[in-house]
Amino acid sequence: MSDSIKNPGFAGDTGEFDLTEAQIRGTDYVGKRPLDGGHPSVAGTLPYQVADRNPEIPLFDGPYGERLEKVLTRYPDPQAALLPALHIAHEIRGYLSPESMNEVAERLDLAPAYVRGVATFYTMYNLAPLGKYLIQVCTNISCSLCGGDAVLEAFLEHTGTETGMISENGLWSVMEVECLGACGFPTVVQINEKYYENVKPEDVPTILASLT
Amino acid sequence: MADDKQNQETVTCTVDGLQVEVPKGTRMIDVAARVGVDIPHYCYHPGLSAPAQCRMCLVELEGAPKLMPACVTQVADGNVILTQSEKALKSREGTLEMYLVNHPLDCPVCDQSGECKLQDYVAEEGRALGRLNEPKRVFGRDDFGGDVLYEGDRCIMCTRCVRFMREVAQDERLAIVSRGHHNVIDTFFDEGLEGNIWADNVIDICPVGALVSKDFLHKARAWDLDRTPSICPNCSQGCNIALQVRDNEVMRIKPRPNEEVNGHWMCDYGRLNYHWINRTGRIEAPLVRDGERLVPSSWSEALVALAERARTAAGNARALVSPFLGNEDLGMVRRLLSSLGGGEGAFRVETGEKVVLPGFPKLALREDRAANVRGAELFGFSRTGGPDGLGGLDELSNHTGILVVAGDDLDDAPEDFGRSAAIFIYVGHALSPAARNADYILPATTFAEMDGSFTNVDNRVQRFWPALQAPGMSRPAWQILGVLNAGIAETAAPATANDAFALLGDQCNAFTGLRFADLGSQGRPLPEQPVDLLTSSE
Amino acid sequence: MAYPYKHPSETLVLAKYFGDPEARTLKGWEERGGYKALRKVLGGTRADVISEVKNSGLRGRGGAGFPTGVKWSFMPLDTGKPHYLLCNADESEPGTFKDRELMRWTPHSLIEGCLIGAYAIQSKHAYIYIRGEFFETAQIMARAIEEAYAAGYAGKDVMGSGYDLDVTLHLGAGAYICGEETGLMNSLEGRRGEPRVKPPFPAVSGAFSKPSTINNVETLCTVPHIIENGAEWYKQWGTEKSTGTKLFCVSGHVERPGNYEVALGFNFKEFIFDVCGGVPNGRKIKAVIPGGSSVPILTGDELDIGMDYEAMAAAGTMLGCGSVIVMDETTDIVKQVRRMTDFYAHESCGQCTPCREGTAWAAKILRRIESGWGTEADLQTLLDISDNMAGKTICVLSDASAAPITSSIEKFRDDYLALIRRGENLAEREARPQLSAIS
Repeated sequence: MSDSIKNPGFAGDTGEFDLTEAQIRGTDYVGKRPLDGGHPSVAGTLPYQVADRNPEIPLFDGPYGERLEKVLTRYPDPQAALLPALHIAHEIRGYLSPESMNEVAERLDLAPAYVRGVATFYTMYNLAPLGKYLIQVCTNISCSLCGGDAVLEAFLEHTGTETGMISENGLWSVMEVECLGACGFPTVVQINEKYYENVKPEDVPTILASLT
Repeated sequence: MADDKQNQETVTCTVDGLQVEVPKGTRMIDVAARVGVDIPHYCYHPGLSAPAQCRMCLVELEGAPKLMPACVTQVADGNVILTQSEKALKSREGTLEMYLVNHPLDCPVCDQSGECKLQDYVAEEGRALGRLNEPKRVFGRDDFGGDVLYEGDRCIMCTRCVRFMREVAQDERLAIVSRGHHNVIDTFFDEGLEGNIWADNVIDICPVGALVSKDFLHKARAWDLDRTPSICPNCSQGCNIALQVRDNEVMRIKPRPNEEVNGHWMCDYGRLNYHWINRTGRIEAPLVRDGERLVPSSWSEALVALAERARTAAGNARALVSPFLGNEDLGMVRRLLSSLGGGEGAFRVETGEKVVLPGFPKLALREDRAANVRGAELFGFSRTGGPDGLGGLDELSNHTGILVVAGDDLDDAPEDFGRSAAIFIYVGHALSPAARNADYILPATTFAEMDGSFTNVDNRVQRFWPALQAPGMSRPAWQILGVLNAGIAETAAPATANDAFALLGDQCNAFTGLRFADLGSQGRPLPEQPVDLLTSSE
Repeated sequence: MAYPYKHPSETLVLAKYFGDPEARTLKGWEERGGYKALRKVLGGTRADVISEVKNSGLRGRGGAGFPTGVKWSFMPLDTGKPHYLLCNADESEPGTFKDRELMRWTPHSLIEGCLIGAYAIQSKHAYIYIRGEFFETAQIMARAIEEAYAAGYAGKDVMGSGYDLDVTLHLGAGAYICGEETGLMNSLEGRRGEPRVKPPFPAVSGAFSKPSTINNVETLCTVPHIIENGAEWYKQWGTEKSTGTKLFCVSGHVERPGNYEVALGFNFKEFIFDVCGGVPNGRKIKAVIPGGSSVPILTGDELDIGMDYEAMAAAGTMLGCGSVIVMDETTDIVKQVRRMTDFYAHESCGQCTPCREGTAWAAKILRRIESGWGTEADLQTLLDISDNMAGKTICVLSDASAAPITSSIEKFRDDYLALIRRGENLAEREARPQLSAIS
């Protein structure tokens, strides 16, 4: 890779465009999406890996319940709301415990074993508690060609944790992840809901510092 | 599943050179079966949906670029199907090698060994030597609760068990958990299969040793078992079963397919309730009362003496029978009662909750927990006693005429049961205190030790065959009572179950016209169903 | 302007507004000509839409390259049953990142494409299945869909036409296999994303067991341009059978990685060396994967070909979804093939035994070879495993997994042999991989 690539710390500060982080991420445009999901057509699509969780509250009460109600109006079969419902549980609790899966099963009138079968199929559902920030480093081919393994090592070193574990301060969990679909910006790292692109091992301390 | 019978249109195709005409829409695997070609398969099961995921049934279809899954591909006119072509054989060899990649090859300690489809297919068509040079995946063992144990490492992920619980039991307690090569069958954490009485069927349909029965665990090797077709004695459904026997002991019960009765299934209540068949401490010789003593005797001595006494005995006769007796036995008790001048007969049966199998509603664990309640009713015996199958003996207890007890163990009978009877004849298996009051104790065989038939709740008459050697001098009840009746009524005694069955029409019209030889292994409905008996208690 | 680098050789249709934050908004998109095509479509017949798309020669951009108009014409019309249009935004083929750019810069073009596609196949509901990791992209799409509803482009009585058309954004949860059309349908229905046996094909029984059509994001984004400008306009680019322009995602060892939009048939060598700036540090190219990790690898000497479906097929590979992964001469091919095989083992849904066991077994063998414990016989075993997987399963993930293995053994056998030879000197061996090291 050429040395001229600047170190971003956020998505896409590279190439030939003069854009701010907000313009690239589209955060100005999106604004803050309401907890009840907004318009029913998109109600099931809030980020479900977030730093601020609320593990004590019931799963489908208040705005979260409204969100699920809206989602249910969009499909001919309530079973189709299973992934959105699991997203909600994941967003609130940070992972899917057996109790959460059971609550989802009850709410959608599905067999708990069925819900477990579905939940364990998808890699984004974490089945055990994780740190406040889940750092997922892509080491698939394009990132691997450009040093993804070293970035993973750097995250492990600077957070002082092992793959899939929680750091002592409870902040970090680091995982290797399959292709994140931003291969032109290696190494790609997803931290909770955000993408960090063009990450080099030397950027890691800055990124971690910006989160704490 | 069955071919679409509505569809009259037929197509002609060939399987391995054998031409066959089948209804349009028939699947290749069924077409092949018709001409006697068994296409290897794991995930396909005739009682379940076909996901086509085991990839064992891939066959060559002439003109098609890819091999076709025979379990889901419908034949078209002129199809040429090749199951033994080089391509098909190579595919099966390659797929079998994949099956063995993570398989523990623990056949020496696996209960399925000897009846394992993986073993069979690999022996027939697999590679002679494996090429695996890597550590194997290890899942270990998981207790699914109830009678079911899961050996994850042996599992080939055919998902039959998951589909059974979803489609047939309609109690979705099993799921594939995780993804890809981490896939494992599991329940919802600790939920398990406990409480579902159909759970053991997943063991039957498991083509390998991944799901095994705790009851049968390490008890017998499959090749040491003799398998005798029979009928489950434990409720009035009459599930077709095989008694699997080693060393004259029933080791386990497995269902036999019969689309009219139980499909491919049976309940755990029936399946696991077989230990009584193996009961030891049986009566082994006829015992004749001599004062306070019971003296062993030969059959001829005992029966000649008894017939003599019965001919001249005073008072009417009464009988208590067991609904576990065959039609032939019950018919013969009824015949004997007539020869003795007629008399009432009763039976006792334990009852319980009816549990229907939702995906095959013909099948249920019936309220009456004995095989031949319908037979007993047809031969004019009336129900007595409580839902626990006990009590109701007060009148019989003090009967003063001839008292015949056949099959009922009399475990709960009063101490002086039958003491006031003119003659107390006991035909049975074991000596309870009350049975010891009998004047003649005649050892009978159980259904597992003899030829005979039961009539199920839907008036279907079904045969069972002898699976066990009867103890000592015991004989089928129809034979004992047949000889006795011959002595009393001076007629011929039936020599075989066939003879005894042929006499049933005399006692109950419904049996007229039905021949023992026609029952076959799948049974027959009673030709003429008596109207008054059609309204069953269930 | 493709993102994040521009090049004068590009032909900009889809990527014209990449890097232009104004184009994201409904207002900005309308100012740039947005939703004109939808208005045009609603005034005409369905047959017009389908024939225009058919005539344009547009082929599915998700990888298979099936003609879009033909696919639409398979849908039974006037059945009275609901029909569904599904948009496959589950972009997860390693090396592919074009749909993400399309959605984050021009979300309204996708919405417009979905609306037109849905109209053409008589669907009253379009589902956009977006991969779960694309949270940020999904937020942009969500806002754009809300805007479209507010402006009356979606919902009841679209633009006063009397036609009701809903769009629902559905977030996945992390499974490559959900990019397979029937896997996506299962996932949308709240099941495990396991592909279905075909037949029945989606046009007969798809999502929710109703007739369905599924199109890639890029395909649907192209449709409004074709409707607005006509089939002939679109055919001015590309080759006879591969018409129009396409986004190519370039990653790996190139100076200027990113998305570029060029006319199909563009010279591949020129593309890599001129448009993408060539390989950094003056190194030579060892290998290129031209269409995402699932297609056979090309060597550096095989690049003088056109970037279209036919030319790529003639070269023994596939255009796939246009994901170009460049590897320079320092690349350890065996490691990269192992990494891809790990990926397929991780992403196999596990239904079909050859794929479930074969992908993981191949990954184990490759890892062993990598650590110096391999033998030459292992190469034959790998080829046999690939052969036993490819074409033997419900979907083509196993074929995809086999492609890099077989093509790399064919073209880079010496790389494998070097590792094997090195390992023959015991001191050169690394620790033999243990079970725990194998995912």
